[in-house]
Amino acid sequence: MRRIYILALILILASLLFFTFYDLIQPKEFIDDKAQISEYYIEHGVKETGAINLVTAILFDYRAFDTLGEATVIFIAVSAISLLATKERVLVSDTNFSPIVYQGISFIIPFLYILAFYLIFYGHLSPGGGFTGGVVIATTFVLLKMTFGIRYSKEEKSLQRRSLIESIGALGFILVGILGIIMGDNFLANEGAGFHLGIAGQLLSAGVIPILNLFTGVKVGSGLAIIFHRLVREE
Amino acid sequence: MQFIYLVVIILFCLGLYTILMNTNLIKIIIGINIMDSSLVLLLVALSYKPAGTAPIIDKQYSVIVDPIPQALALTAIVIGASITALMLLLTIKLNRYYNTLDISEIRRLRG
Repeated sequence: MRRIYILALILILASLLFFTFYDLIQPKEFIDDKAQISEYYIEHGVKETGAINLVTAILFDYRAFDTLGEATVIFIAVSAISLLATKERVLVSDTNFSPIVYQGISFIIPFLYILAFYLIFYGHLSPGGGFTGGVVIATTFVLLKMTFGIRYSKEEKSLQRRSLIESIGALGFILVGILGIIMGDNFLANEGAGFHLGIAGQLLSAGVIPILNLFTGVKVGSGLAIIFHRLVREE
Repeated sequence: MQFIYLVVIILFCLGLYTILMNTNLIKIIIGINIMDSSLVLLLVALSYKPAGTAPIIDKQYSVIVDPIPQALALTAIVIGASITALMLLLTIKLNRYYNTLDISEIRRLRG
């Protein structure tokens, strides 16, 4: 009986969604008059921010305050998980892997760090950015934890260090924003805050964007690492 | 016909079906993630233009897809990841307390 109710509910929802998207589903010519803000970003984005990657330009310049809120969401998740996490003993896996796994993971970790910092520092030139690079940094912690988990000691200390790094990331983001106010412009201003935009397309360009990318990457990486450690903690 | 929106509708309804039909908490979290993914797919589909390239300005490309929905999709992904982590933590705690993942066996959650 319950199954019939659920199926009916889902059919009603599907038909409602279908009629909502009916205009979009129809084949039609693409009209660009609805996208005036996007046209503005595409035409003036490179000149105003110095970043040729427009998604990064929007994330860290036009809507940088929104990105600060986004980073705060991760911070809140880390805080809630650290508050709620159990102090009991949880084992990830007590199996011993073969030496190939240990050697392979040890071999791959430095390259993962190179990839992560490439993604962070080239965020304004190519796909990637602070969030992606931060997730790759967190992946290295997850790999280390899963393979060397049992023998990896000094956990509490590294957790404190990671929490310190995350706080530095958040503080740095806010301080860069306040610098804009001190220089007489908006919060998180780019060119108005005295940052040199440089030539678009070069590594050292786009003013404030690589700095914010670095802070965001460090913060996301350490935050996700803390989340993983709290979820699979061993004592 | 643009089938991508039909795919979005089907994915959303499949996610909801997973949430409503299953009693296993892990499967419910997977259903919520499927709904989340369908919304990200909708945002990406909205930014599509025919023959458009990725929104990285280069002189040899003139048609560029809309960059704003992609920035919003990043927000959606980050918040989805945070919510998933919180849900998994609460699942771990429920499993520790009641020793089951089945919500129909957890009496206080029965509705």
